[in-house]
Amino acid sequence: MDREKARRRVGHESIETRHLRERGELFQALKSLDRRSFMKVSAAAFGAAAAQGLLPPHSFQPVSVAHAASPTGTPDTPKFTFAYISDSHLYDRNLNDRFVNQLMRAVDDINAMDPQPDFVLYGGDLAQLGKPVELELGAQILKNIKAPRRMMVGEHDWYFDMGEKWRELFGEPRYSFDHKGVHFVVLNSVIEKDFWTERKMTALERMMTVAGLDNGIQSRFTVGDEQREWLKKDLEKVGKGVPLIVFSHSPLYKLYKAWNFWTDDAEQVQAILGKYKDVTVIHGHTHQLLTNRIGNISFHGMLSTAWPWPYAPEGMPKLTIQMGRPDPFNPHDGIGDGSVQVHADGLVDKIYNLWNRNPVTVTRQYLASNGAKDKPAAPLLASY
Amino acid sequence: MPFQQQESQLTPWLASAATVTVPQGVSPAYWRTVVPEGNPGNGAQVALGRKLYFEPRLSKDHSVACATCHDVSRGFNDHRGRAEGVGDQIGHRNAPTTLNAAFYSTQFWDGRAPTLEDQAKLPITNPIEMGMPNGDAAVAAIADDPEYKKGFQDAYGRAPNFDDLGRAIASFERTLIFLSSPFDRFAQGDANAISADARAGWALFNGRARCGGCHQMSSSNPIGTDNRFHNIGVSARHQDFEQLANKGLQALAQGKSRESIDRLAIETDLSELGRFVVTEDRADIGAFKTSQVRNVGVTAPYMHDGSLPTLWDVIDHYNKGGEANPYLDGGIEPLNLTEAEVDQLVAFLFSLTDDRLAAQNEGEKARQGALAKTQRPFRDTALASRKVFPFEARLQGGK
Amino acid sequence: MFASKASLTSLLLLALGTAALANCGGGAGGKSAEAPSATTGTAAESAPGAGMEVLLCDGQTKTVVPPGTSGTAIAGDLMTQWLRKNPNSSWEAEERERHTLEPSADNDDLVGRVNGQTYGSITHQDVALWKTETERVALAGSSVFHDAGALGSTDGVSCDMCHPHAANTHPETYPKFQPQLGRVALLRDMINWCIEHPVRGKAFDSDDPKLRALEAYILAQRKGKTLNYGKH
Repeated sequence: MDREKARRRVGHESIETRHLRERGELFQALKSLDRRSFMKVSAAAFGAAAAQGLLPPHSFQPVSVAHAASPTGTPDTPKFTFAYISDSHLYDRNLNDRFVNQLMRAVDDINAMDPQPDFVLYGGDLAQLGKPVELELGAQILKNIKAPRRMMVGEHDWYFDMGEKWRELFGEPRYSFDHKGVHFVVLNSVIEKDFWTERKMTALERMMTVAGLDNGIQSRFTVGDEQREWLKKDLEKVGKGVPLIVFSHSPLYKLYKAWNFWTDDAEQVQAILGKYKDVTVIHGHTHQLLTNRIGNISFHGMLSTAWPWPYAPEGMPKLTIQMGRPDPFNPHDGIGDGSVQVHADGLVDKIYNLWNRNPVTVTRQYLASNGAKDKPAAPLLASY
Repeated sequence: MPFQQQESQLTPWLASAATVTVPQGVSPAYWRTVVPEGNPGNGAQVALGRKLYFEPRLSKDHSVACATCHDVSRGFNDHRGRAEGVGDQIGHRNAPTTLNAAFYSTQFWDGRAPTLEDQAKLPITNPIEMGMPNGDAAVAAIADDPEYKKGFQDAYGRAPNFDDLGRAIASFERTLIFLSSPFDRFAQGDANAISADARAGWALFNGRARCGGCHQMSSSNPIGTDNRFHNIGVSARHQDFEQLANKGLQALAQGKSRESIDRLAIETDLSELGRFVVTEDRADIGAFKTSQVRNVGVTAPYMHDGSLPTLWDVIDHYNKGGEANPYLDGGIEPLNLTEAEVDQLVAFLFSLTDDRLAAQNEGEKARQGALAKTQRPFRDTALASRKVFPFEARLQGGK
Repeated sequence: MFASKASLTSLLLLALGTAALANCGGGAGGKSAEAPSATTGTAAESAPGAGMEVLLCDGQTKTVVPPGTSGTAIAGDLMTQWLRKNPNSSWEAEERERHTLEPSADNDDLVGRVNGQTYGSITHQDVALWKTETERVALAGSSVFHDAGALGSTDGVSCDMCHPHAANTHPETYPKFQPQLGRVALLRDMINWCIEHPVRGKAFDSDDPKLRALEAYILAQRKGKTLNYGKH
């Protein structure tokens, strides 16, 4: 029922109605101002964003709708945005409907982004056991993404057939590309030393071993000698001032060995990357909000669409503010998807689009100030 | 039903409860968190509140009282999809039952009133409900009545005023504790108090049907609510919901979202955003308060907009995994319940009606049962059996 | 090598001492983690020049070898056969290799204490017995914990998917009123809730060996945490 009509009919108004009417009149008045005055008034009323002229003056639409803007209250415009979906761990749809439905939810989220991201990164572990039926199901679902896709491999995708099906569906697992002045490198950073041959494991046994996060028989993840050489070569033609963003499934640093939240040759990889002024690593595998900075390299974890991991008992980076203990009674808590806003200076804001929660943004100011500015809110419930 | 008739129906039901007292089985420590400090609810206060509950002079045209939408003969609600106020204006929300409302931590479907005291006053001044311009006008309508003068004096030791009016009605409502159902007798050890179907339904409620996740029941809080707000997808069935949700998000992204939301309130129908308007949390878009399950047999139609006519429709809605939307609560998922299991859950829910409303309950069982035999518009076996997934249809553009 | 559901159940029964099994070579009753020693095999009568039949102490496993074959080779052959028939014989060692287990309390300092009574004195053997039996059940729990099939899952989910090394299981916070369960929950109630919902299996009976083993494993892994019942 239109409150304005109600007021006119009644002839006088309730407290609620009068309050709303007064606000309405304020906005009506704003609309009738000339543009410059309007900008002045609205800037005062609505914060610095409009005053800085960073938003199109003809609308109040922020740049990114579903993924909230910077917590400092100044949603400055990034150069471009890409989205991510990661760690879906699909089984055949007749075995586990939840994981499939959740990946579909993530695809729906990304498709609803306005404006659309430049591309969508898939962060690895599309399948749970690397079976062809799982990878094909995943490929089929991801085809529904409207924006262009970039695929990255995870250990769950790899160790059943050593990447045979993955290559067939998605091409080579490691590659690089340039986009709007940023150099992107996609690694296969889940290379494990052979532990299966001497134990005479079958393909499935090997995969089941790797599939266990806490299974101590598997080897630690590496980028590996050969791939590090490839990386060096790839970066030869990239100027030192060019912003570098590296996609990796393993974190490219050493957080917690027992869960392979770990890259064994991390120091060597960081040495190669560290020669660049602005380097960001976006990694999967950890299924949680994770933030780190080593030298001039920023590290951001991606959320899973399947389930959240608990935080490691030791080795947590100082910069990480936990995402808050997920509620087991809500299967979608602690998971989701997200996006990365890349700025002209090559640094990024990382947005965690947690389902059934407010999104969390980890800004480049937070990392650059070593945690002094833009600190994300501490969770009410920390990990046990 | 006319107010006098309602009153006479009510009298035998409340014979023993003339003051606000802790209900049997509820911990007194917990009950103290339910009854506010300054309003203990003695006999005079309850009696005053009861009189006010049936008082149509509190409305603009003297036609509407609390008891119009919270009708004693209709399970203390109105059996309408959305409530109807002065001048036959229809609102946006289904009127909840006054029974056991004392146990909620907040009032209204979006929890915008923190207490019964606050809730009681708001419909009075709402232009489309009781239409009074303000609290003073409401008080003025009854202040000269000698019975009210005496009533207020006895209850609060002062002249009639709007705040005490709210207090009195709240105290009366705190005596409307209707927790004596066949299920309660079953819970106390009489296995045959409810049917075998209802017993199976109770097991499902706590098990595979996942109801207990939100409709939590315990001895301290026996009504079946977690006092929280969840998007279960009912609002998503409204055509403009997603557009509205996007506007809400845009309001959030502004520096001063309160103003933007207020503006939204004037320009659009905000009702379907639910709790979001109160908290401005994205997670609350389209979220509504978990309703109690007590006496649910006599509070049709169901949900915040009254869009589900029968309890069978309610179970069908949950069975198919609600309605997929970007803010759907992750606890809502397809349940794969068989027809027999749906019947069992419905039987259990009907067993939660207080004995005093048994006649109404039987009537509803028959009426809803007959209706459910002819139409089950929300039943979707493909979704319920997980052949198709909730977010799958959205991917293929069939929102 | 991971245990199949059927053999794991029998292992659990064994670990919990509900079956009596044949002795083998004079060792402790029941199949232990150690394979029976092949050195106690008996040689059958044989004609000169013919193959020699060697029978293992279990009375079943046998091999035929030419005379003069070294004892090591005979033992090795019998061992290989026996292991093939009993793939889970070294399940404890394998489980430890896969998933670490917090060690049970160290009781070594009790050894040798005499209380002036027969029952008061404790030996190394006692301490070893307590340790092996206790940790065996915890290890059995670890096996079930990491095995969707053993849990009865119908959607391929095992406990370690949310709780690697039993992280985030917080048994020290129970008993606790859990509103969604409508009652005060003990650890086993939460285990059963997880089995019914995320794992989509059937809840275990209170005295099911698997439930007991799961509890044992979870409590083992949270060794050292302070009890704090009711903590949410």
